[in-house]
Amino acid sequence: MKGAWWRIGWRNLGRNRRRTLITAIGLALGYLAVVVMAGLSRGLVSEMIDNGTGMLTGQLQVFAEDYLPDRGIYETIGGREGVDVEALVARVASDPNVSAATPRVYAGGLVSTGRATAAGVILGVDPEREALVSRLLSHIDEGRAPTPGQYEIVIGREMARQLDAGPGDEVVVVAPGADGSLGNDLFIVSGIFTTTITALDLGHAVAPIEVVQELVALAHGRIHEIAARVDDPWAADAAAAAVAVLVEGESEPVAVRPWTEFRPEMVEYARLVSSMEWMLIVFVFGMAIWGVANTMLMSSYERRREFAVLLALGGGPRFIVRSVLAEALVLGALALAAGLAVTLPILAWWKAAPPDMSWVYGGFTMAGGLMRPILRVEWPTSMIFITAGAMFVTAIAAALYPAYRSSRVPPADTLAGR
Amino acid sequence: MSRITIARALAVSAVLAMPPVASAQTADCAGLSVPADIVDCVDRIMRGESSQGISTMEVSTEHWSRAMEMQMWSLGTDHALVRILSPRKDAGTATLKAGNEIWNYLPRVDRTIKIPASLMSASWMGSHFTNDDLVKESRLIEDYEITLAYEGDRDGVDVWEFDLIPRPEAPVVWGRIAYQVRKHDTMPVFARYYDEDGVLVRTMTFFDYRELGGRLVPAAMRVVPEDKPGEYTEVRYSELEFDVDLDEDYFSLRRLRDTR
Repeated sequence: MKGAWWRIGWRNLGRNRRRTLITAIGLALGYLAVVVMAGLSRGLVSEMIDNGTGMLTGQLQVFAEDYLPDRGIYETIGGREGVDVEALVARVASDPNVSAATPRVYAGGLVSTGRATAAGVILGVDPEREALVSRLLSHIDEGRAPTPGQYEIVIGREMARQLDAGPGDEVVVVAPGADGSLGNDLFIVSGIFTTTITALDLGHAVAPIEVVQELVALAHGRIHEIAARVDDPWAADAAAAAVAVLVEGESEPVAVRPWTEFRPEMVEYARLVSSMEWMLIVFVFGMAIWGVANTMLMSSYERRREFAVLLALGGGPRFIVRSVLAEALVLGALALAAGLAVTLPILAWWKAAPPDMSWVYGGFTMAGGLMRPILRVEWPTSMIFITAGAMFVTAIAAALYPAYRSSRVPPADTLAGR
Repeated sequence: MSRITIARALAVSAVLAMPPVASAQTADCAGLSVPADIVDCVDRIMRGESSQGISTMEVSTEHWSRAMEMQMWSLGTDHALVRILSPRKDAGTATLKAGNEIWNYLPRVDRTIKIPASLMSASWMGSHFTNDDLVKESRLIEDYEITLAYEGDRDGVDVWEFDLIPRPEAPVVWGRIAYQVRKHDTMPVFARYYDEDGVLVRTMTFFDYRELGGRLVPAAMRVVPEDKPGEYTEVRYSELEFDVDLDEDYFSLRRLRDTR
């Protein structure tokens, strides 16, 4: 008998195919709108997190517990004695969530051509490993990355402009050493990076780590930070907890920080976006519900005589309610099938080839991260299911009143045409 | 990277304004009664027409301690040259201040670099002197409203205590300076520097008053930052000469590079 309800529902939808089609299309478009908007907003969040953490910081940082907030040059991992850098980097990288890790040294200093001088952060990196963790060096648009062991330096575009320096030019780098001395050396500008993030382009220079250590009188075992890449940014918290265990036992306490701690504003933004997905569902289906209810009301009004006969034959109001709800559910299923058939290919295409919007707007920075002018989408997997559920709820909710009305049809009067 | 760390690289500059570089007008402040006049008079003792001296700067921080011997020349408030004599690692490093420009000479790389005025903030080489000590060219009376806050006995010494509140348009970093001056010889005793919230940031004390180059000066001064009470920077003058024969041409880039 169960199957009969679905058959009745299905056949009723066929009574007025055009009306059914329009209603189903309305629901399917609602589904498309919610899922695509969710995909877009998740794409926006991913773009923000990727660029906010991928440009320089990495998704995970390991440093001496006392390093923050002052970032003192002396506060190296392992204290004055330093650490076995390679062994520690390997331990950090051994966590399955961590795809790459790289050591860093930070120094505050001056870069000068003589006539012009700029202040900034001199970042000491291993250029090869750094490229696996951050994208800063991939933004070199003139020249190349510094060669390990060589006194070569890459500077930001704005700093280069202020210094009027380019690849091949010689600059003096001055930075206070960890022993109180004034470190100074000649470097050759090997490249210029352009990120369009002013703080980076103006205030950062990158040189090989061993050379920066030499400059600021730090032994090779003394580094300020190990930055790590976690491919799924939302796994960074778990990775941080795991890495904290992996690096336990160092002579000096070591702190491990996921991006969610040093960029809490991005977490808040992601939460805001996530809450807006729910609002989107409420708005879209809140509107759709009236359209569906209208269709169901008309459909059930047309079937008044049929319901009256059923009631007269002793079918009972429940019988009627079930019949109308079955119709609504089948309509929902139809709409879902249509919605999926349209939405999934669009999302797949969109994700594979995000449209370039540079003709509408340029790149901009948001929460400190560079946003490319592309409309990126991410698969909103949970929303694909949640929205499907919301659509069925909409169809049922829209049918409740018509079902109730239908079950209350007075059989005698209706059959008598009164 | 912190502003302070960057400014530490500003190098030898900080020494430039380190008092005392005595003035030709000597300490003839007796008989003055208007607070601004007294402070200005003391201020001018601490600055100079022309002078030459040798001093030692000792910096003690949580992480390291070091002493540097420096030779310096100055002419008025606009011209100064400081050259580090020791330790060997920094020897020959020199800073030239000529008008609004500050240049450093780095013997290791044999280059001179210009320090942009916009970077003149905070401390130098981990010392506890700030940029305000260093580039200050104007006199205290130009930047501060000066009032007498106390007059009388402190630890058995008759003193004045002045309150220096910056004028609204004054380009200074402090919210207030409390300045104590001994009455009998108009020698400064201490200067306490407060931030804009009225919190004491550092204390500079003057001591070892003695005659150098024929003038009574505080031959030593020590700066203690409030947030790091165990740390200090102390400057002691071992030689000081006044009214030496220097003119503006002396303070040239060529002289800056001259390591002899």
